[in-house]
Amino acid sequence: MGEKADVWQGTLALMVLKTLDTMGAQHGYGIARRIEQTSGDLLAVNYGTLYPALLKLEQEGYIKSEWGVSDNNRKAKFYALTRAGRKQLAREAQNFEQMTAILARFLAAGESQS
Amino acid sequence: MKGLRAWFARVAGLFGRERRDRELAQELASHLDLHAEENARAGMSRQEARRQALIKLGGVEATKELYRERRGLPFVETLWQDLRFAARTLGKDISFTMAASLTLALGIGASTAVFTLVNGVLLKPLPYPHAERIVYPWRQSPPGVELGFNELPWGIIDTNFFLREAHTFESLAAFKNGSFNLTGWGEPALLEGHRVSAAFFSALGIHPERGRAFTKEEDQAGHEFEVILSYALWRDKFGGKPDILGASIELNGQLYSVVGVMPAGFDFPQSEQMPSSFNFPREAQIWVPLALSAKPYPAQPADLAIIGRLKPGASVQQAQTEMDLLGRQVEKQFPNGKGWFTSKVTPMALQVTGDTKEPLLLILGAVGVLLLIASSNVAGLLLARSMGRKREFTMRAALGASHGRLLRQALTESLLLAAIGGAAGLALADASVRFIKIIGSDMLPRMQEVGLDLRVLGFALAVTAATGILSGLAPALGAAGTDLATTLKEDDQRSGGSRTGQRYRKLLLVGQVAMAMVLVVAAGLLTRTFFQLLKADPGFQPARVLTFTISLPAGKYTSNEKIVDIYDRILARLGSLPGVQAAGIAETAPMGGIGESTVVKILDRPPVPDLQAPYANYTIASPNYFRAAGTPLLRGRYFQESDRPESVPVTIINHAMARKYWPNEDSLGKMLGLGSPRFPPMKVVGIVADMKHQSLREDVMPEMYVTYTQKPYPSMLTMQAIVRTHGEPAAALGSIRTAMAAVDADLPVAKVSTLQTIVDQSMTRPRFAMLLLGGFGVVALALASIGMYGVIAHSVNQRTREIGVRMALGADPGQVFGMMLKQGARLAGLGIAIGVGTALGVTQLLKTYLYQVKSTDPATFVGVAALLVSVALLACWIPARRAMRVDPMVALRHE
Repeated sequence: MGEKADVWQGTLALMVLKTLDTMGAQHGYGIARRIEQTSGDLLAVNYGTLYPALLKLEQEGYIKSEWGVSDNNRKAKFYALTRAGRKQLAREAQNFEQMTAILARFLAAGESQS
Repeated sequence: MKGLRAWFARVAGLFGRERRDRELAQELASHLDLHAEENARAGMSRQEARRQALIKLGGVEATKELYRERRGLPFVETLWQDLRFAARTLGKDISFTMAASLTLALGIGASTAVFTLVNGVLLKPLPYPHAERIVYPWRQSPPGVELGFNELPWGIIDTNFFLREAHTFESLAAFKNGSFNLTGWGEPALLEGHRVSAAFFSALGIHPERGRAFTKEEDQAGHEFEVILSYALWRDKFGGKPDILGASIELNGQLYSVVGVMPAGFDFPQSEQMPSSFNFPREAQIWVPLALSAKPYPAQPADLAIIGRLKPGASVQQAQTEMDLLGRQVEKQFPNGKGWFTSKVTPMALQVTGDTKEPLLLILGAVGVLLLIASSNVAGLLLARSMGRKREFTMRAALGASHGRLLRQALTESLLLAAIGGAAGLALADASVRFIKIIGSDMLPRMQEVGLDLRVLGFALAVTAATGILSGLAPALGAAGTDLATTLKEDDQRSGGSRTGQRYRKLLLVGQVAMAMVLVVAAGLLTRTFFQLLKADPGFQPARVLTFTISLPAGKYTSNEKIVDIYDRILARLGSLPGVQAAGIAETAPMGGIGESTVVKILDRPPVPDLQAPYANYTIASPNYFRAAGTPLLRGRYFQESDRPESVPVTIINHAMARKYWPNEDSLGKMLGLGSPRFPPMKVVGIVADMKHQSLREDVMPEMYVTYTQKPYPSMLTMQAIVRTHGEPAAALGSIRTAMAAVDADLPVAKVSTLQTIVDQSMTRPRFAMLLLGGFGVVALALASIGMYGVIAHSVNQRTREIGVRMALGADPGQVFGMMLKQGARLAGLGIAIGVGTALGVTQLLKTYLYQVKSTDPATFVGVAALLVSVALLACWIPARRAMRVDPMVALRHE
């Protein structure tokens, strides 16, 4: 369970960083909605799991938070990418692309053999 | 970097919890608002919009919990929670907490105290730079020759050869003890010191704090009139004045100039760190150059010790190889001395700890057993308690606490208990070490270096943690592993304890009794040894005897005639004092250590090679010496005033010598020669009882006495006076001092003691061993009986209803009483049986410390077993009587 959660957390973190990169500062609900819209069912289970992920990214210094006011005049905590976060996003995205490329090749090779 | 940063953030997350909680609540509230608003815009009712938002989030509390786990360090937080909870529960049950932590304090305290000794004596490095390179090449006796000690002194010729030829050593030096009469500086005083060759101080790596060490030139005969003082002597006798350097002081009637003062605390060599055969003083006060003569006369006694500092990188083995080689070269010069030039290179650390290592490790083992008893006792207590708290644990498990969580909670509690015990134990250890240092400063080497340090604290911490886990694990596992449904269904009255729990406790109890048996048997054997020693016949009567040292300055007493003359006059004066019954002198006083030994020749037998030649201790004495010491004459006569140089040379031998060398014939009247033909043969005129020299337990060696009046070899400059008084010996001291001063005002009366004190001192180690193990035994007994009481009392409580039924059905109270007692007796019997078996094996280790007691001494085993049985029965008595008084009506209504 732990490992699966780690993979999940890693994926989620990458999506959060990407979301903040494309949309700019955003509150938790907004991030959740965006991820749900783009990824389909990843967050479908519950939005709650997003908050520990946000906290972790903030502890690691990739994002920062600030209280602000939403479009419809509600008080909300807004998250934004830091410089370290931008770098991390680039790094992680590259890692991810490499990984998928390798895996794709590997799986393709396995298929052709069988 | 990232990990570190996150970690800091999490540590920070431990604090300001309320503010952070509030902020999270606000954030989640705004999240829900935003979501609900959107849902409402999509056409849901307000209520439904909110409900959907909550579902989507996954619950506010669950999210908060997830978040919190990420925020701080959950481990620390639960630990803190557990600690507070444990402190609260322990605080609620003060009597339990007191009993358990006191038990642990005893165990941890005793083991920490013993470890402190072991640490100070065995583990701490010696106070010399690179002490691992310091070695003693001791002379060994040839194989097959038993002299009673393993480290022998070297002679001058061999020593000179080694000092010149050995190359594995950076410095190699010889030394021997020497005492010096200090005159012309207040009261005459006898200073204990050493004659040392030039490299002595560099071999040790310690140099004078003021002034300088000896030069090579000063280490030549005729130039040796220089002296280095110990710090204590300089401070106490010479007022600590810096201008002492260069001053002249009179030692043994010669002027010596002071060239140095050693650093404080330097008193090498101390007798307790050296082989007893050398008779080194307890602590050294002065050092003068050894100045070995290049051409010694042949029969000069061998009395030199050698100390060396290995060159960096050289091994002890290399030094041993070189010494073996050099030994064979020396041997060629002494055709008669074949086999007498082998050496054993002993590292200093080994020499210092020598024969204390094994007893210390044994005591550490004993205290380890005590610690085990204490932990199993506390484990028993905790187990009983956890059985009582079963419903609490079950309830918490039912409310969702995981196994691990419950286990951790239980362990936290026992660890907290151990921590309380550990803190008290540390205080106890410190106090007992201080106490041991006061009463037993001369029982162990390096005692002044013993004390609490970081290593001891680390040990105490480790022991505390170990006992905490050890005593808490069984009950913790029991608590965590309960079956929810059955326990919750059980009714209050009978949930007192599960069968497994009770079985654990009985098992622990049997173990405790067995371990207590082992400890008490060991204590019993040592106690018997002690009393056997008290009964042992020392070969003299120590009561009402005063001893002191007479040391004649060589400068004034230059010939044997002068020496004999002054002893004549001293003994005449002392003997005629009104309070004195008899006065004598001897080279070594009873229990004053071993003197010289010599090869002897039995004249009417064919000569034997030196290697197989008989040998004997050789002691110069005076005619009245045996009377003064109270040593009975078995046959023949004592020395007489009429035994003079011109009369027939005579000798008196001890019983052991007569028995060993004349097993089937009469030794009286036989003629004895010494190793060198230069000494005239002597006639055996008397046989005296065996006198002990080092300890009451020693096997007496053959010993021969010669009288000083016949001017025997070698030097007689230092003698021990033995004065038997009519009344209290101390009362005669004044008149003795006056009498001595009347003979020669410059003679100090040094090292005054009573023979009884010396004998008592020789008993300190056996007494210490007896008291220590006796103490452990008593504590072990007490703990085992508390454990016994606990188990039986618990069993009575548990079986109250059963007992009630039995009594209602007509069982008589006596039967019930017997039944409970039998239960205790069975457990105790099992423990004792296991204990006897173990003790039979363990006491083998004690063999060398016993005197006239077998390690399997049946009296001790039976006695201790009986003691344990009675203690066990006593411990069962109280709960069993309570069982007897159970009122069937009350018990049955108890449901």
